[in-house]
Amino acid sequence: MMTDAVSPDELLARYIVYAKWIRNSDQTIRPDAFIPPDSDLSVTRHLQLNEETLWKIGKAITDGMHPKRSLYGRADVKTLCVIDQHLEVVPDPVEPDNPDHPHYNPNHANITNWPLEKNAKKMCALEIAKAASFVENLNS
Amino acid sequence: MVSIAIPSAISSSSSDVAGFIAERRKISFDLLQESNVLGFTAKGAFQKLDDVFKECASEGWDGGRAKAISTEVLQCAERFLKSFPWGIQAPDVGAEPDGAVTLEWYRSPDKVVSVSIDPDGWVYYAAFLGTSKRHGSDYSLMGVSDDLLRIILKVTGNNR
Repeated sequence: MMTDAVSPDELLARYIVYAKWIRNSDQTIRPDAFIPPDSDLSVTRHLQLNEETLWKIGKAITDGMHPKRSLYGRADVKTLCVIDQHLEVVPDPVEPDNPDHPHYNPNHANITNWPLEKNAKKMCALEIAKAASFVENLNS
Repeated sequence: MVSIAIPSAISSSSSDVAGFIAERRKISFDLLQESNVLGFTAKGAFQKLDDVFKECASEGWDGGRAKAISTEVLQCAERFLKSFPWGIQAPDVGAEPDGAVTLEWYRSPDKVVSVSIDPDGWVYYAAFLGTSKRHGSDYSLMGVSDDLLRIILKVTGNNR
């Protein structure tokens, strides 16, 4: 079940649709990518998904944007690195019963329990970004 | 080199003199900003700021629930950048999904400082300085603080 608790060993993907979230100098991820818009940050669990399906979910995100944007890649990070920051990863499947839905993502999850202070949030994001690996979308 | 021309006849009106000095001061500031060695303008920081604003001016620019970068944030960021002393390495400019503009000075994964300018005018920063870590906040209207400047210089390796 995609609502099962997220294991510390699981990989999480954060899709990169904004070029400035990748450092050109060494293809590392900037912490900006891991700052939540509000109380939660959206990620996708790799669990049971192959590469093709992972990219398909990312492409569905950019296809739904106006104006349309490129999917530059994804930032992959181990759940353990997130938990180490005293954050939680909570499963939040999107339309799990409707595979035809454009935003169908049974592996969707939220990173929650962020500190209230923005500077503390930034430190968490800096740590997560340092642990993350950039995987380029070669079809972009 | 910057030179300031003094008019041969200065008006007796003190407000004219004050206006003249203010105008020349602005021209001198703009010239220094355009200096490739000294200013952020020539180093492209203000242009990058404009680019970020254009790219992130509407909600959902991250493919999710990102808040738009507002003109208020843009103005705070411009004012903050103008408060820096000359000769500092220009930052990379970016945006965060909560509507903040970011300035980053990066040397390596262990030497980096990220600064956010939020819609409420506050500046928040987090840094890796080799073996130590720092985070804190300032108010953008007050300009860059000595403490944050020291952190930036530690990351960039500048010795001023």
